[in-house]
Amino acid sequence: MAETKTRNTPRAAKAPLPQRSEVWRVVVLNDPVNRMSYVVMVLRRVFGFAEERARKHMLEVHEQGRSVLWSGTREQAEAYVFALQQWHLTAVIQPEPPA
Amino acid sequence: MKRVEIKLNISAVAPLLDIIKQAADDLRGQLAIRTSFPEQDEEFNETWTAELLAGQNSDVRELLGLFGSDFFAEGSIAIDSHNSDSLLRGCSALRIQILSHWLQGIPADLLEEEDVPPEAIADAVRVPFAAYTFLDQVQKIILEHLDPLAAEA
Repeated sequence: MAETKTRNTPRAAKAPLPQRSEVWRVVVLNDPVNRMSYVVMVLRRVFGFAEERARKHMLEVHEQGRSVLWSGTREQAEAYVFALQQWHLTAVIQPEPPA
Repeated sequence: MKRVEIKLNISAVAPLLDIIKQAADDLRGQLAIRTSFPEQDEEFNETWTAELLAGQNSDVRELLGLFGSDFFAEGSIAIDSHNSDSLLRGCSALRIQILSHWLQGIPADLLEEEDVPPEAIADAVRVPFAAYTFLDQVQKIILEHLDPLAAEA
């Protein structure tokens, strides 16, 4: 679920990338500023997580410094990272390691 | 539409606004967070940054708009479901900037506490710290009273 004010990612203004078959992860990193309830709210807004799942990710970030939030296509992963950065959460995309 | 009005002490908030406005000026041309770009494509990254910066500036403007002449006449600010998202993001951006500009020397555990005694903070950064915690309290009020998802929890 995307939040209502999220702008389009820059990708929308560009030609499509060549097809890539890898699976990509969205990883959020710990930051010393944003309060826990804010992080939970953002994860619920951006990903549509239930409260319990959002809280689990927030605690993982708080305790381990990072949490893998989602995996899938690169384009969607970029859109999620952009949305998280709009809310001032530090997020990156990473290729999923081969199984 | 839900609406929250917060009554504030003008003389207590005014010095905090000087810090908040300075942080807002600092942020006019730069993002609050260090951004990682998914692509190694300069044009893509420029567009990515510009979009984020436009949103950040709009959110910070919305926040500063709360503290215009009406605030100094009435001593209150009003937040509703139309501006709450912008204000949440604006507070976050400004807190990050205040932390990186003024509060780097303060231990992380103090930054996370809600009731820090003033004497625990060095005189030179007491006002920036107060601005940092003030914005945190504004966020807390919005999250407690206006977050549309909170009612589902």
